[in-house]
Amino acid sequence: MLEPLLGSQDAERALLYLYCLGEGYPRQMARTWGSTFSAMQKQLARLEAAGVVYSRRLGRTRLYRFNPRYPFLAELQALLARALTFYPEAERQALLMQRQRPRMAGKPL
Amino acid sequence: MKLVREMTEAELAALVGQHLRERGIRVVLSGGMCVTIYARNAYVSGDLDFVPEVFVDRRKVSAALSEIGFEHHGRLFKHPESPVWVDIRTPPLAVGREPVKQICELVFPTGTLRLISPTDCAKDRLANYYYFNDRQCLEQARLVVEHSDVDLAEAERWSAQEGQEARFAQVKESLLEAERHRKQRSAERQTE
Repeated sequence: MLEPLLGSQDAERALLYLYCLGEGYPRQMARTWGSTFSAMQKQLARLEAAGVVYSRRLGRTRLYRFNPRYPFLAELQALLARALTFYPEAERQALLMQRQRPRMAGKPL
Repeated sequence: MKLVREMTEAELAALVGQHLRERGIRVVLSGGMCVTIYARNAYVSGDLDFVPEVFVDRRKVSAALSEIGFEHHGRLFKHPESPVWVDIRTPPLAVGREPVKQICELVFPTGTLRLISPTDCAKDRLANYYYFNDRQCLEQARLVVEHSDVDLAEAERWSAQEGQEARFAQVKESLLEAERHRKQRSAERQTE
């Protein structure tokens, strides 16, 4: 939907992921969208260099979030919300209906 | 002209800013180095964060900086004679959701440095405190207020615009105290 603006489908997918779920790491995003880890990582690095997202290391994982200091954040999120309404229901549900609640360590699935 | 290894961080910043401007790349210094300058070295930054006023091709920046001996390391630049890292960030020049409107100029033997104002510098540090809960940046904001003329009423207005009125209220007294120290020192110097 926003690929012509963002220049990359994976950039759009990464931003939509963060918009819907608040945070994420490249492998998780790539798995959700059926994309590749390297493509997602490359787009997130580009978005981070531009100040749109920021990351923190959590163990061996790099966790990304929207940069609250990005001056166009509210407008970007409004655009992402609008774009999301044009996604097929199945893709929207796959993105939104991911387990977010905690799972106690050692608990069987 | 001094050798790069003999320059202070601010002099190096002025050299970089002036050289880029001469090559048609207008940049403004932001970030921690502005704290170093406005807090009179009470805080030491290790890098120079420049924001171009408009989008600029990184190859053009790289070519310009290589003319004065800088080498690129990934997206950062470094001179072999200095430990300071130079980062040319992506525009816009903003503090939170608002564009920076006032650009200050400081003249050094190495060039004229364009940088954000003391008030915007304090706001920039407060933004990191508000959004990332970074207490080091709160202390840096306090140092800027203690050593430079910061418009705290403007900082309060901006904080409210950012939806951070309550957080500002929590730190306001500490900032006002820093301002009182600066005014007291200034008055003492005038009576000497």
